[in-house]
Amino acid sequence: MNVSALFMQLLPEAVLVITALVLLGVAVATERKTGRSFSVGSATGIAASGILLALLALGRVPSETAGSSLVLLDSMARLGKGVVLALGLLAVLLPPGQKEIREPGEVLALMLFALTGLLLATGTNHLLFLFVALELASLSLYLLAGFSRSARAAEASLKYFLFGGVSAAFLLFGLSWIYGFSHAATLTDVALALKSGVSPLAMAGLVMVLVALGFKLAAAPFHYWAPDVYQGAPATSVALVSAASKAAGLVVLIRFLQIGFAAVDGSAAWGSMSAGWSLWLAVLAAVSILFGNVLALAQSSVRRLLAYSAVANTGYLLVGICANAPASTGAALFYVVVYGLATLGALSLTASVERHQGNDSPQAFAGLVHHSPLQAVALLIFMASLAGIPPFAGFVGKFAIFSTAMAGTIRGEGSGITWLVGLASVMSAVSLYYYLCILKEAFVKESAEVRSDRLSPGHALAIGIPAVALVVLGLFPSLLLDPIARAVAESLAAR
Amino acid sequence: MLLLSLLFSPLFAAVLLGTWPGLTARRAGMLAFTLAWIPLILVAMIGFQEGASWSLPWMPDAGIHLTFLADGTSSLFLLLTTLVTLFSLAVSVKLGIGDRAYFALILAMEAMLFGVFTARHFIPWFLCWELTLIPAYLLVRLWGGTNAPRAALRFFIVTLAGGVSMLLGFLALQLTVGTMDFDALAHLAADKQLASELAQGFSAHFDGPTSLLIVALAVFLGLAVKIPIVPLHAWLPDTYAEAPTPVTILLTGLLSKMGVYGLLRVFLPIFPEIFPVLAPWLAALAVATVWLGAIAALAQTDLKRIFAYSSVNHLGYCALAVAAIATSQGDRVAVSSAISGTILQAFNHGVIACALFFVIALLESRSGGKRGLHDFGGLRAKMPMFCGLTGIALFASLGLPGLSGFIGEFLIFNGVFGLNPWSAALSLVGLLLTAVFLLRALRKVFTGPLPERFAQWGDLSLGERWLFAPLIALIVIPGIWPQVLLHFSNSDTLRLLELLRPTP
Amino acid sequence: MTPAWTILSAFAGALLVLLLPARLAGASRLVALIASILGAVAAGVACLERLAHPDAAVWESNREWIPSLGARLHFAADGLSLALLFLTGVVAIAGVLFSWNVNTRPRAFFALFMTIIGGVYGVFMSRDAFLLFVCYEIVILPKYLLIAIWGSTRREYGAMKLTMYSIGASALILVGLAVAYAAAGGTSFEIAYLASVKYPLALQAWAFPILFLGFAVLAGMWPFHTWAPTGHVAAPTAASMLLAGVVMKLGAFGALCVAMPLFPQGFEQWSTSIALLAVIGILYGALTALAQQDLKFVIGYSSVSHMGFILLGMAAATHWGLRGAVLQMISHGVIAGLLFGIAGRVVYERTHTRDLNELKAFDLWKTLPGAALAFTLATAASMGLPGFSGFVAEISVAIGLWQTYPWLVPPVALGIVITGAFSLRAMHKAFFPERNVGDAPPPTLPPLTGSEKSAIALLLAVSISIGIYPKPWVSLIDEGLRSPLFQSILAHP
Repeated sequence: MNVSALFMQLLPEAVLVITALVLLGVAVATERKTGRSFSVGSATGIAASGILLALLALGRVPSETAGSSLVLLDSMARLGKGVVLALGLLAVLLPPGQKEIREPGEVLALMLFALTGLLLATGTNHLLFLFVALELASLSLYLLAGFSRSARAAEASLKYFLFGGVSAAFLLFGLSWIYGFSHAATLTDVALALKSGVSPLAMAGLVMVLVALGFKLAAAPFHYWAPDVYQGAPATSVALVSAASKAAGLVVLIRFLQIGFAAVDGSAAWGSMSAGWSLWLAVLAAVSILFGNVLALAQSSVRRLLAYSAVANTGYLLVGICANAPASTGAALFYVVVYGLATLGALSLTASVERHQGNDSPQAFAGLVHHSPLQAVALLIFMASLAGIPPFAGFVGKFAIFSTAMAGTIRGEGSGITWLVGLASVMSAVSLYYYLCILKEAFVKESAEVRSDRLSPGHALAIGIPAVALVVLGLFPSLLLDPIARAVAESLAAR
Repeated sequence: MLLLSLLFSPLFAAVLLGTWPGLTARRAGMLAFTLAWIPLILVAMIGFQEGASWSLPWMPDAGIHLTFLADGTSSLFLLLTTLVTLFSLAVSVKLGIGDRAYFALILAMEAMLFGVFTARHFIPWFLCWELTLIPAYLLVRLWGGTNAPRAALRFFIVTLAGGVSMLLGFLALQLTVGTMDFDALAHLAADKQLASELAQGFSAHFDGPTSLLIVALAVFLGLAVKIPIVPLHAWLPDTYAEAPTPVTILLTGLLSKMGVYGLLRVFLPIFPEIFPVLAPWLAALAVATVWLGAIAALAQTDLKRIFAYSSVNHLGYCALAVAAIATSQGDRVAVSSAISGTILQAFNHGVIACALFFVIALLESRSGGKRGLHDFGGLRAKMPMFCGLTGIALFASLGLPGLSGFIGEFLIFNGVFGLNPWSAALSLVGLLLTAVFLLRALRKVFTGPLPERFAQWGDLSLGERWLFAPLIALIVIPGIWPQVLLHFSNSDTLRLLELLRPTP
Repeated sequence: MTPAWTILSAFAGALLVLLLPARLAGASRLVALIASILGAVAAGVACLERLAHPDAAVWESNREWIPSLGARLHFAADGLSLALLFLTGVVAIAGVLFSWNVNTRPRAFFALFMTIIGGVYGVFMSRDAFLLFVCYEIVILPKYLLIAIWGSTRREYGAMKLTMYSIGASALILVGLAVAYAAAGGTSFEIAYLASVKYPLALQAWAFPILFLGFAVLAGMWPFHTWAPTGHVAAPTAASMLLAGVVMKLGAFGALCVAMPLFPQGFEQWSTSIALLAVIGILYGALTALAQQDLKFVIGYSSVSHMGFILLGMAAATHWGLRGAVLQMISHGVIAGLLFGIAGRVVYERTHTRDLNELKAFDLWKTLPGAALAFTLATAASMGLPGFSGFVAEISVAIGLWQTYPWLVPPVALGIVITGAFSLRAMHKAFFPERNVGDAPPPTLPPLTGSEKSAIALLLAVSISIGIYPKPWVSLIDEGLRSPLFQSILAHP
C-alpha cells in the first residue's frame, strides 16, 4: 500500500481534524472579543463547512484504493461514513445552548474529533485500530457530556466516563483474547481462524466485545449512563451520541459479528436455539426493548424519555442484526439512519422548547401548535416516525427490520424469531403511548401565554432537515434502502 | 306498470305532503284526501284489466325477485284498502285530527298494504308487512290517547316478534328447499314434496313432518299476532282504544286483514301436508277466539273496546273457516264456500268496522271525548238519522240477513258445518253472544232517558251523512247481491281448491 | 375518471385545506366537500362502469416502490373494492355535511378528516400487503387527533384507548404479515402471491390467529371491542361516523381479504371459534346497548353487535356468508353514519345532552320532528327491517350461517330480537318520551339546517336503495368474491 492511497482514504478524517484545529485556533484568537452569538454562529459555520468538506472528500476517494486491512473503504464503510457525517452535520447545526456553554469553539472542535473517531471506527478491520478509533470518539464524548457547568452535567459526564472506562476495559480485554486465540489482528483473519475450529477463548472474547459494544449502543442492561447523559449533557452532544455514534457503533457491530464471527452465529429461532452471538443479541434485544419501553412510560422529562426510547430502539436494531441475513442487516442500517434523524430532530425541538419554557417536561410542550404550527408538525413527524407510523420513514424501517428478520430465520414449519419480532412489534405499539403523551400536549392542550417561538437558522435547519428527510424517506424509502442493500450485499459477499 | 304506479302513488303522495312548503294541517288533509283517489282509480283499472303484475330481480341467484301480482282476490283487498284509507282520511279531516306528517304516514301505510296484498314472494311480502309497522306505530304513538306510548310500543314489539318468527320460518324454507316463492312452495306442497325436502335440508335432525310443523307454527305465529288469534290478542284492545279513531279504522279495517290474507293465501296453500296434525288445534284456537272476543266485549263498558273485541270475534270466524278448510277431506263445495266466506267476511268486516268506529268518532266529537257505554242514552230522540244508520251498521255486524255481514258468515258456516261440525256448533254460540253485546250497545246508547247534557245535540250534519252514505251502500249492496264481490275471487278460489286437492 | 381519483382527491383535498390562508379558513369545509364528492363520484362512476362491463379488465395501477423489500404500489379496484369505495365516498360526504358547523380550527379538522378518508380508500384498493398496511396505519394519528381535539365526553381517554387498541392490533398484523412474507421466501408482499403459497399446516395454525386477531380488533370483535363504544362516544360527530362507518370496516376488510386468503387452513381450524366470538359479540353488544343511558353509547354498542354479523358471515365461509359480510359492511357503514350523525350532531348540538332521561325534557318529536322521523327510519334500518340495507345483509349472513353452523341460527335470531328491543327503547326514550301533563313545555330548538337534511337524505337513500334493489351491489360483490383469492376459503362455493 502506498502512502498517497492511504492519504486519499483518510482524506475525510484529515479534513475534520484540520477544521477542528482551525476552530480551536480561531476560538483562542477571538475569545471574548466579539458577541457570543457571533462566535457561536461562526464556530458552527466553520464546523459545518468542515463536515461538508469531509463529505465531499468521501466522494472523491477512488474506489480502487479500497481494501487495505488497517483502513478500508469498502461500500459499507463508505456508507457508514456518509451517514455518520450527515448525522454529525445536523448535530453541529444545533447550536450549543448559549447559557450553558461559554466556549462554542472548543465544543465544536471536540465534536469534530469525536466524529473523526467514529469515521475511523466505521472503516477498519483491524482490532487494535478499532479500539483506538472508538476510544478517540468516546473520550471526546465524555468531555462533551460534561461541558455545561451544571451539577447534572458533571454527574452525567462522570457516569458516562466511569461506565465508558469499564466498557473500554472489556473491549480491550475481549480483543486481546480474540487475538490470543487467532493470532490475527484483522477480522478477516479471525474469520479464517474460526473456520478451522472454535475455542472457548474466542467465545469469551466475543462476549466481552459484545458487552462493550452494547454499552456504546446503549443496549440494556448496559444502558445506565444513557438517561443521565441525555438529560444532563448539552443538546448538541446528546445529538451526536444518539445519532451519529449509534450509526457508527452499528456498523462496527455488523463488521465484527457478520464478517469476523460469522462462523459462530448460533441461532435464536424458537425451538432450535443454539449458543452463538445471534442468540445473545436476541436476548439483548429483548431486554432492551422491554426495559426501554417500559421505563420510558414513567418518565417526566422528555430527554430521559428519549434516552429510554434510544434503549428500545437499539433493541429493534439488534433484532435486525441477530437474524444474520443481508436483507435484515440492510434494514437495520436503514433504520439507524431514520432513527438518528428522528431522535435528532426530537432533541432539537426539545432544546427549543427548553429554551422558552425552562424545562423539558411534556407539559412544556403544551399548546405548541398555537405558538409555532411548523414546529408542532415537525414534532408530529418525529414522534410518529419513532413510533413507527406511516407515512414516515420510521415505519418503513421497523417494518423492514421485522419482516426481513423473519425472512432470514423462518424455515419450514419453524416459527423462527417470531417470538422476538412479536415482542418488538407489541412493545413498539406500547411506545406510541408515551410519544402520544407529548403530542397530546402539543396539539390538544391549550397554553395560556401567547408567544411565537423564533429559532436561529441553524436550529431551524436541525429541525427542518430531519423532518423533511423523514417524510421523503417514508414515501420513497428506496432512495436509501437500495444503496444500503447493495452496499451490505457487496461487503458481506466476501465472507 | 299499472301495479308499479299503484304501489308508488301513495308513496309519492306521502313525500309530496312531507316536502310541500308551508302546508297547514287542514290543507294537508284535503291534499291527502284528493291524492288518495288516484289509487282507487288505479285499483279500478286493475280490476277491469283482470290483473296486473310487476317484478324486479332482488337477489336473482337465490331466486329472490320482488314479484307483485294482483289477481281477483288481491283486487278485492286492494279495493278495501283504498276505500278504508279514503274513509279514514275523510274522517280525520272532518274531525280535524292530524297534521301533514299524519297524513303522509297514512298514505305510506297504504302503499305498504298494497304491497302486502299483491306480493307473490316472501321477501317483498315481508318487506311491506314489516314496513306497515312503522307508520302504524307512529300514528298510534303520536296522535293517540294518554296511554298511547305504552300501547304503541307493545303493539310494535309483539308484531315485530311475530314477524321475526315468520321470517325464521321462511328462512328455513329458503335454506332447505331453496325458494321463498309462494307459488313455487305451494306447488311443491301440492305434490307432497315440501316435507321431504325440508327434512333433507335439516339433514335428518328432524323428520319431515316435525320440521314442517316447526316451520308452519313459526309462520302461523306471525300471522296470528296480526289478526289476532287468541292468545296473541293482548296488544289489541289497548292499541285500538288508544289510537285516534281514524287510525283505529285503519288498524281494524286493514291491518287485521293482512293476517287473514296471509292465512288464506300463504299459509293454506303452503302447509297442507301438515294440516292433519294442525287442524284440530287451529279449530280450537278459532273457537276460543270467537268466544273470547264475544265474552270480553260483554265485559267492557268502553264502546271502543267493545268494538275492538267485536273485531276479534269477527275475525275469529275467518280463522274458523281456515281451520275448517285445513280439516277438509275433499268436500269441494264446502271448501269453496268457506274460502269465499272468508274473503267476503274480511271485506265486509272492513267496511262495517269503518262504520262502527265512525259512530264512535261522532260520539266522541260531540261529547268531548266520552265513549263509555253508560255515558249516553236516549239519543234516538235527538238523532233519529244517526240512530238508524248506526242500527244498520250494528245489524250488519251481527249478521242480519240482507246486509253484508250475513253473507260472509253464512258462507263460512255453510262450509264449516260440512267440514268440522263441532267447531261450527260451538261457534254458533259465540254468534249469539255477538248479538247480545251489539244489541246491548245499541240499547244503552240510543234508548232510555236522555241525559241533560245531550239536550241540545242535533242530528247528523250533511257532511256526516255524506260520509255515512258510501258505507251504507257497501253494506247493503253486497248483502243483496254478493256476486258483485265473489265475481272477483271465484277463479282464485278454484285455483286454491286445485292446490288443496286431497291426497289421492 | 379512474378509481385512482378517490385517493388523489382525498389527499389533495387534505393538502389544499392545510394550505389555505388563515382568512379563508371557513372555505375549508367547501374544499373538503368538493373533494369528498369528487371521490364518491369517481367511485360511483367506476361502479357503474363495472356493472355495465363486468367482463372488462379490472382497473389496476402497479408500480415499483421498494424493490429491496418487494413492496409495490399496487392498487386495483374490483367490484368488491368499488362497492366499499363508494360507501366510503358517501360516508365522507355525509361526514363533511354533518361537520359543517365546526368552527374551531376548521382547517386542521378537515385536513385530518380527508387524510383518514384517503387512507381508507387506499386500504380498500391495495393489492400489496405492505401498501395495505401503510394505508391502514395512516389513519391512526388523525383519528387520535380528531377525537382528542374536537371530541366530547372523556375525549382524551377515549382517544388514547382507541389509539392504543389500534396500534396494538397493528402490531399483531405486522407480525402476521411478516410471517407470511418470510415463509413465502421474503421476496414479495403481493397479496395474490402470498395467498398462492402453500404454507405448512403447523405454521398456519399459529400465524392465522395472530393476523386475524389484528384485523378483528379493529372490526370490534368481542372481547376486544371495548375501544369502540368509548371511542365512538368521545369522538366528534364526523369522526364517530367515520370510525363506525368505515374505519371498523377496514378491520373487517383486512380479515376477509388478507388474513383468510393467506392462511386458509389456519382459518379452517379457527373458524368455529370466530363464529362463537361473533355470536357472543352480537348478543353482548345488543344486551349492553339495552342498558345504556347515553344515546351514543347505545349506538356504539349496537355497532359491536352489528359488526358481529360481519365476522359471523366470514366465519361461515360460504359464498352467502362472505357476500352477507360485505353487504353488512356497506349497510352498517351507512346506518351507523346516519345514527351517529343524528345523535351526535342534530340532537347533541341543540340539546347538549345525550342522556336518554334528560332528553325527555325536549320532547324531540315535537321540537325536531324531522330528526325524529329520520331517527325512526334509521332505527328501522338498524333493526334489520326489510326495505333497508340491514335486512339484505343479515338475511345473507343467516343463509350462510345456516349452511355451516345451523346450530348458531337460534342465538343469532335472539340477537336480532334484542337489537329490535334496544333500538326501540332508545328511539322511544330519546325522541318519543312519555310526558306528564305537568311537565315544563319543551324549549324551542332551531330547525334542521340544509346540510343536515342533505346528509340524512343521502345516507337514507343509500340504505333504502340497497334494501329495495340490492342486485347491483350483489353483482359487484360477487364479482369480487370470484377472485382466486377467496376460492381456498369457500367451503360451499
